[in-house]
Amino acid sequence: MPEKTDRVQDQLVAFLPNLRRFAIALCRSRDIADDLVQRACERALANEQRFEQGTRFDAWMFKILRNLWIDDIRRRKVAGPQDDVDERHDIAGISGEREMEARLALNSVAQAIGELAGDQRDVLLLVCVEELSYKEAAEVLAVPIGTVMSRLARARKNLAEATGISMAPTRSAVTKGASK
Amino acid sequence: MTEETFSDEILMRFADGELDPETVARIEQAMEIDDGLVTRVAMFIETRAQAQAALKPLLDEPVPENLVAAVEQMIEARPAGEKAASVLRFSGGRIAAPPSRSHWRLPIAASLAAAVVGALTGYWAAGTNERRQGGLWVAGVIRPALAQALETVESGKEIRLAGISDRFRAIATFRNNSQDLCREFEVDSQDRSTVVSVACRSGDEWRVSFAVVAPGDAGGYAPASSTEALDAYLSAIEAGAPMSAEEEVQALTEVRQKDRK
Repeated sequence: MPEKTDRVQDQLVAFLPNLRRFAIALCRSRDIADDLVQRACERALANEQRFEQGTRFDAWMFKILRNLWIDDIRRRKVAGPQDDVDERHDIAGISGEREMEARLALNSVAQAIGELAGDQRDVLLLVCVEELSYKEAAEVLAVPIGTVMSRLARARKNLAEATGISMAPTRSAVTKGASK
Repeated sequence: MTEETFSDEILMRFADGELDPETVARIEQAMEIDDGLVTRVAMFIETRAQAQAALKPLLDEPVPENLVAAVEQMIEARPAGEKAASVLRFSGGRIAAPPSRSHWRLPIAASLAAAVVGALTGYWAAGTNERRQGGLWVAGVIRPALAQALETVESGKEIRLAGISDRFRAIATFRNNSQDLCREFEVDSQDRSTVVSVACRSGDEWRVSFAVVAPGDAGGYAPASSTEALDAYLSAIEAGAPMSAEEEVQALTEVRQKDRK
């Protein structure tokens, strides 16, 4: 038995719980999440050669899964409201995002995270929950690092408000060159 | 004494350990005399801890057996299978063929291959006799009605193509690995089939680089098997993340401006 390798296929199964958690937090439905996870794994295996050794496997997988999810959302947005037939149409068991109630019913913080704007939620999940660096999160989300920081700060203030963490009054960015 | 003011982002970076040592030292110093600062930093530390704790149970949840089995099966099936036959690549050649180890289950690959053949005969044959449902593109080059739609319709919107009754839906805009602007879109033709397609800018024209025909009765909606082929294709060209609405508007405006020159 060779020791632990960097091959995608060797890491995939062990990583499933994390990937699934990320997916559930994104789409708020276990069924849809499982489908997403499976497709993300398929895509990862098919593109194994694109995984850069020495980079974070989890970040790579999150990026694949999130891109699939974005594509699904757009597809549904487009196909959704055209006519009645499309209303009822359901691709691979996926129905419109808005119809997916937060079926997680976990705890109030999870609930509050689910209610964040998507942009804010994604960056919060990647940095605070999955412990990616700002730079890694920027790479996953394909946005500048400054955007990661501003979204993340907003996400946390909103989360703090929603869950009642006490907050001092906000101060705007006066430190020179500090904000972006 | 002048009190230095720190922005929320700086304090967040402090809490997350993403700050240079000098600024860290300055904040630490300031925190000794400023309780408000301590509270603000605490907020960032607490929200991180809270978010982690809140989603921890999901990590402990057992992964459904069928999901694990499906992934294991994919891994086992790896060395077998040759050739991603179902992904159609038009001319252009700039897209390097990826090592073709298909992970697709055979039936899907077969049905897609059939669908692609349909795309070729349906659309290319129509080139000799344009109008009607065909004639949108010939040998990968796009006709004006479609080109215009590609340059004007925002992702998420649908229009009827000028002169033909086909419905055009823009799905997403992104860049490929050569940084060419690409659009993913779907066209419903009169025979109720839906073509799932990707076109990229090549010089000053749009070229179709991917197309697959989804079977007819999908109600104007490509079924999952065709999107699987699309997914594989998008990975192959290293498609960037879909652009935001603003980025898209800007990119399309640039294209239109170039056209006018």
